[in-house]
Amino acid sequence: MADFVQFLGLAFVLGVPVVLAAMGGLTSERSGVMNIGLEGKMLFGACVTAMVATSTQNAWLGLVGGIGAAILASLLHGVLTQVYRMDHVISGMSINILAWGGTSYLYSPHFTDRAFGSTIPVVPREVFYLLAVAIPAVIWVYLKRTRGGIRLMAVGNDPEKSRQMGIDPIRVRFMALVATGVFCGLAGAMIVSNTGRFSEGMTSGRGFIALAALIIGGWRPVPTMIACFAFMLFQALQIQFQGQAIFGVMLPNELWLSMPYLVTLLALAGLISKNSVPAGLGKA
Amino acid sequence: MNQPIRMVGISKRFGSVQALQGVDLKVEPGTLHALVGENGAGKSTLMKVLYGQLQPDEGTLEIEGTLRRFAHSRDAIAAQIGMVSQHYSIIPELTCLENLMLGAEPGAWLEPRSATERASTLADRMGFRFDWNEPASKLSTAAAQKLEILKLLWRESRLMILDEPTAMLSPADSDALYASLHRLAAEGATVIVVTHRLPEVMDHCRDVTVLRGGKRVSSFPVAETDPRQLSEAIIGRSMIETQVEVRVGREPMLVMRDLRIQGDRGQEAVKGATGELRVGEVVGLAGVDGSGQHELFQAITGHAKILGGTLDFLGQSILVASPRQILEMGVRLIPEDRHAEGVVEDWTLEENSSLGLHRLAPFAQGSRVNIRARSEETQKMIDRFQTKCRDRYSLMRSLSGGNQQRFVAARALAHQPKLVLAFQPTRGLDIEGTRQVYAALRDQAQAGSSVLVVSFDLDELLIHCDRILVMEHGRLLEPPADLARDRQAIGALMVGAA
Repeated sequence: MADFVQFLGLAFVLGVPVVLAAMGGLTSERSGVMNIGLEGKMLFGACVTAMVATSTQNAWLGLVGGIGAAILASLLHGVLTQVYRMDHVISGMSINILAWGGTSYLYSPHFTDRAFGSTIPVVPREVFYLLAVAIPAVIWVYLKRTRGGIRLMAVGNDPEKSRQMGIDPIRVRFMALVATGVFCGLAGAMIVSNTGRFSEGMTSGRGFIALAALIIGGWRPVPTMIACFAFMLFQALQIQFQGQAIFGVMLPNELWLSMPYLVTLLALAGLISKNSVPAGLGKA
Repeated sequence: MNQPIRMVGISKRFGSVQALQGVDLKVEPGTLHALVGENGAGKSTLMKVLYGQLQPDEGTLEIEGTLRRFAHSRDAIAAQIGMVSQHYSIIPELTCLENLMLGAEPGAWLEPRSATERASTLADRMGFRFDWNEPASKLSTAAAQKLEILKLLWRESRLMILDEPTAMLSPADSDALYASLHRLAAEGATVIVVTHRLPEVMDHCRDVTVLRGGKRVSSFPVAETDPRQLSEAIIGRSMIETQVEVRVGREPMLVMRDLRIQGDRGQEAVKGATGELRVGEVVGLAGVDGSGQHELFQAITGHAKILGGTLDFLGQSILVASPRQILEMGVRLIPEDRHAEGVVEDWTLEENSSLGLHRLAPFAQGSRVNIRARSEETQKMIDRFQTKCRDRYSLMRSLSGGNQQRFVAARALAHQPKLVLAFQPTRGLDIEGTRQVYAALRDQAQAGSSVLVVSFDLDELLIHCDRILVMEHGRLLEPPADLARDRQAIGALMVGAA
């Protein structure tokens, strides 16, 4: 029993950054901006959090820096897609590549003499635990009960009709992208809090799992949160059972490692058609 | 609103096209004013200027005695101007109440209870009923139109612009709409109706302004004019509505027996249709929108799931034929939604000309497309109904709706099709375009094809078709022989009253 509780706890901890990133994806995609760059924004967030926290020796300043970096990356996506009308997938992917290369460069000895693995002051993880549960609830209320919420839904559904109703779709989208930056920055900072250091590519595809959870959750905050935790149950399984025989069968390590990704893929294949995509996703 | 709305000398140019040229419009407060004209006459452009969606190159706008200049629709909305566009601006993912408030929410925090109260009061005033928490995606076309009217009231619009408000409505719903508009005008609202339908102008409006080619032709009180004078003003010459010489079809082309078709939501959309189309005839398929016309067309083109019955084309069953085979057999479609089913908007006219037909003569050359033949064919398609475009390399997107429709109709009629299925082939077309398209459909039938036309305008079918069939609630009905062209008998079949 104690093992089981521990196991659930592990899944929760693993799920927190994914939930935060998925909420970032939610605000963006609900406004009609396709966002496959969650991974990159998380990575920027993590890297800058670690850098600022190390140089200032202040965890909270690190968090602010990480969020700021993720907001900038998110706004870059906004400028490229909304002002320069670049394809949303290409822009998102560019930001991921920029993040993979950029963070690696920023954190290399050429750029900074702080050694890898030096201890970094971090924001207590409990803060993120609380946010991962609170933010989906707040978004849910926001979408249902506020002016900004219905405008966000409207713009994501049909920007042209929204404009006709006196709404400025570009403004709504940029606000949504700022929120995306904040949530992705939090997700990145959480990963740093977890490990106490930054390492290259440390987000390891969780931005994409967040995206999958968003799709499976039908772009709704609470189901998306549940989907994130459900995916991470499998990661927890991996950590718990890797290298152990189950009913006398020894599963190869590689299978365990690929488990969360495999489950994501299967879930997407099985469920994607049942959910309705925001109709204006990717539209000008 | 106590003073007239005055637009003076409005000009607007799009690239090389002069859409509006020094247009004046004066609308008296508290009246229904009709704005009529052919496609491309500039009606929508003028209304977009009034609603702040477009900024005029020249000209002034005077509302309540003051000159105004709108940079966005929201400026116009603030000046108590509201517009219902032809395709509505309802967001299906929001509830009815959210749609009602959208863009004019009372505060940052929505208070559903007080909003519902105000919404219900407005609805009661108009005699409408809504389930406010229902998703707007469930609304019928007529209900969506009503919600649009309530949106105007919610925003306290004093000037209401309605663009083709009855295009998608049944006659009964149209009458109800005008009853609402009269009531609003009686309460002091000023209404501008953009329309193609002269009977509506004659029956419901006080004044009418006619645009032609981006200029104002005339403006007069409706009481001092008649449909003949009006149609002369619209198209520049008298147009006499004549009924065609009815032709009797020859051998059967398409035969269906007890055909049952599944609809998009799994329902039985067509319930045992039996009937035939014969060589040489143009058959009109009348009926209220959503009676199964769409599914019937889908089934004949090989896209729908057929639950039972038989469907023979030229003596051969096409129940299991693929859309490609059916296309190769000579069935052509003028689709209901040309954006979804007819054209690729980001392609040029030339690329669109062979869309779906690329395996057939004259486009195919082995496994390649014969580029030269395609160029020639495109030019023929453009010329056939005088599609207005820069050249055949123009993007489909750059054409107005009416011109896209001309091109799509020309494509369906190219290369001797055997059966032409036309779903509202004249949607968005003006009087002259409509006449031309029907003339071409009739010529095609004369040349040995069959034509099946769906239209929600019964008069249009009565004027142009040899025979009328009716779809009502998934059933295919044929009026009795002695009442085959009786407007009332057919109308009764359409609404299930016969």
